[in-house]
Amino acid sequence: MASNHLTGIGSESKQLATWYFTFAAILFGAQLLFGLVAAIQYVMPGFLFEVLDFSVARMLHINALVVWMVFAMFGAVYWLLPDETGIETVGIKIGKLLYWIFVAAIAVVVLVYLFIQVGPADETSIWFIHEGREYIEAPRWADFGIVVVALGFVGNLFLTGIKGKQTGIVTVLMADMIAFAGLYLAGMFFTDNITVDQYWWWWVIHLWVEATWEVYVGSIAAYGLITMIGAHRKTVEMWLWIEVAMLFGSGILGLGHHYFWIGTPEYWWEIGALFSALEPLPLVAMFIHVLYDWGKTQGAEMNAEHTDEDNVRSVIKNKPAFTWFVLNAFGNFLGAGIWGFFHTLPQVNLYTHGTQFTSAHGHLAFFGAYATILVGMMYIAIQGTNGIKVMKHTKSSIWAVSMITGGVVGMTVALTIAGYVQVLVSRAQMGATWAGYFDGQSGMWFAQAMDWRLIMGAVTFIGFLLLVKDFLSTGKNPVHER
Amino acid sequence: MIDPAVIRPEIALDDFLPIFVSSALVLIFGGFYVGIYTAVKVKMLKKWMMPFAYLFWLLTCYCLYIMGSLMHVGDFTAKALVVAMIGYLLLPHAVYYMQDQVHQKNEH
Amino acid sequence: MANKSVWSDNRFWQRSAAWVTGFASVLLIWLTFDTSAQISMGNDADLQNGVTKRVPGPTVINYKITYEMSQKRGHEVPIIGGNDGKGMSLFQEKETFFGRDDWSEEEAAELLHLGKLGTQAKNCMNCHTLLGNGAYYAPDLTKAWLDPAWGPNGSMQAMTGKDTKEEAMAEFLQHPSQYPTHERMMPNLGITAEEAKGIVAFLKHMSSIDTNGFPRNFAKIQGAVHGK
Repeated sequence: MASNHLTGIGSESKQLATWYFTFAAILFGAQLLFGLVAAIQYVMPGFLFEVLDFSVARMLHINALVVWMVFAMFGAVYWLLPDETGIETVGIKIGKLLYWIFVAAIAVVVLVYLFIQVGPADETSIWFIHEGREYIEAPRWADFGIVVVALGFVGNLFLTGIKGKQTGIVTVLMADMIAFAGLYLAGMFFTDNITVDQYWWWWVIHLWVEATWEVYVGSIAAYGLITMIGAHRKTVEMWLWIEVAMLFGSGILGLGHHYFWIGTPEYWWEIGALFSALEPLPLVAMFIHVLYDWGKTQGAEMNAEHTDEDNVRSVIKNKPAFTWFVLNAFGNFLGAGIWGFFHTLPQVNLYTHGTQFTSAHGHLAFFGAYATILVGMMYIAIQGTNGIKVMKHTKSSIWAVSMITGGVVGMTVALTIAGYVQVLVSRAQMGATWAGYFDGQSGMWFAQAMDWRLIMGAVTFIGFLLLVKDFLSTGKNPVHER
Repeated sequence: MIDPAVIRPEIALDDFLPIFVSSALVLIFGGFYVGIYTAVKVKMLKKWMMPFAYLFWLLTCYCLYIMGSLMHVGDFTAKALVVAMIGYLLLPHAVYYMQDQVHQKNEH
Repeated sequence: MANKSVWSDNRFWQRSAAWVTGFASVLLIWLTFDTSAQISMGNDADLQNGVTKRVPGPTVINYKITYEMSQKRGHEVPIIGGNDGKGMSLFQEKETFFGRDDWSEEEAAELLHLGKLGTQAKNCMNCHTLLGNGAYYAPDLTKAWLDPAWGPNGSMQAMTGKDTKEEAMAEFLQHPSQYPTHERMMPNLGITAEEAKGIVAFLKHMSSIDTNGFPRNFAKIQGAVHGK
């Protein structure tokens, strides 16, 4: 069982995984393109005005983000299931059918977003165009489609987990994915009460990205450590359970930090402050864990070979994937941890809420916590489908990871500076009025920060192109050990 | 007149930058602390580095103190922050201990 | 193998994870029940009887709304129909909304419903923020109704050629690119006169929601609303 992770040939589940990864990579590109459009609009407000307005570009930017991550997450599960359970995934035919339904539905949604954009103020717009709720804009009909597809996916996962060998990783994924799918239901109704609306909206957004998705990342990291550096399954799985306890223990009630100002009672200040102060701890712990396993397995290798440090074989079986996994451990801590902690206490959040600070945090956290590990899984899939024993870095894999990471960090720093200007000018001094808002936006520091954001966004995009080039060519590259 | 004691204290304009910088440093120094501690323990770094780990923990506490006082956090939050720092001191020890226990068991 | 420590026992951590998750979830559900009761929308009877709700009923559009410092709470709170001097609403002083201050419960609810649907269908949240959530490309709308720019001395009434706040707002919403306030303009979203009325009602209603003092110091520099 431990050995067949190297080959994806012959497993239908792994074939389906590569389909998911491929479409995820395409949507990743779309996300970056629409992000660039929105970034240009900050610098040149007339760009595509009343053709592809900021609201449309931004909606496509964040929806493509969510959907490519969901695709890559499903793909990663289909990839690891045969390795973990030791059997072919149950219901793979249905899985493949659902994949095409999902892809077709997304194509329709995107075309409607692009060419219809807005509708009249009635229920038909909500059902057939979009719901106008950040991150979960998908129209109601697509909501039901998503629920069906997610149920099919969870069904396959459960049936396979029950029939095959049920490892700790699979158990955690089963519990986590059902919560992940179930939470979507909280965002599927309409209410006139904006406070109630946002209360449940955060159930979906927060309990996804700060609870269930983080646990998902924990399981994938566990799988990655076992396959890439041969970490001990027992250590890794015990550690996974501790992470689940820490992540859910802090993350579920950390939801309180979204309930400071939306009309909800004041006790959420204390709850939100306390639990979100705890939220970085599991991220720190995950970081230690990767370091520990790496150090221990490498140390064991050195002892076994009795050679000097320079000649010792690396325990890493997939260099590019491992690079992305380490970036994940670090980026999760940096983006979700540091940039989250920045503005999580209510005393400061009163001023930073709804400024570019949030945007800075969003960019670094989504990238650091999720994009990195999912790209890592894509590399594992490339290794598997090409029958590579030890996968090495190529020139483009190194350039891709450097440019994407550098670009995202650059955007984050620029947005943080912009947020700082907004806090001082628009919030602390001018009290969040229309005039105060535009005074902040017109400041020199703000404007320059937005220029830098655009430049760094372009760097990220070039990095993405290199990544795609590497994805397409590295499988046949002779540098890898086969 | 409005009693100043009941008004939620405002953050002074000049305090925003130190607050953001110190809160970032809390976790950066914190990261150094756990990073160095673990790296020394798994022998990726030499033993004499260990005091630096604890030095970083002290810096973490100091930054958190600055952040908390500039933000005018209430009594409850202040206590929570002290507990968090003690927890943070213990965290890598506990993590390492547990990791090692499992590891030992599996190797011998 | 002698040292059977509970700390390195997989089962122990598995159970701990289940218990912690379960406990946090139960606590969240319990808090959700409490919060749901507190954030349910009030009705006209509440306003008549002087009952303060965190989210008042739709007929709040018949009243004058301000945002003033509350001594007890330590931050600004929405004040409906006049201040009793201690930061509590009196629910007395009325204010006409499109020429009327007697919108019935049904009419007001219908208007608010149309407005809420409008804010979603027109995708407001992907440029503006509502209650601080959304995109950051355009101003926050939480207290937009109270923004001095729309008031009698503000620039928007003169620019749109209207005499009241609600009419100026509705006019702007229907033809936003005719009234540029900044290089970054609002696009034309095909908002009809009726939809604009609903959206303005939604904005007036939103300004009456108790947001625990967010945004702080609203309009502190420009002829403060609470200074009147």
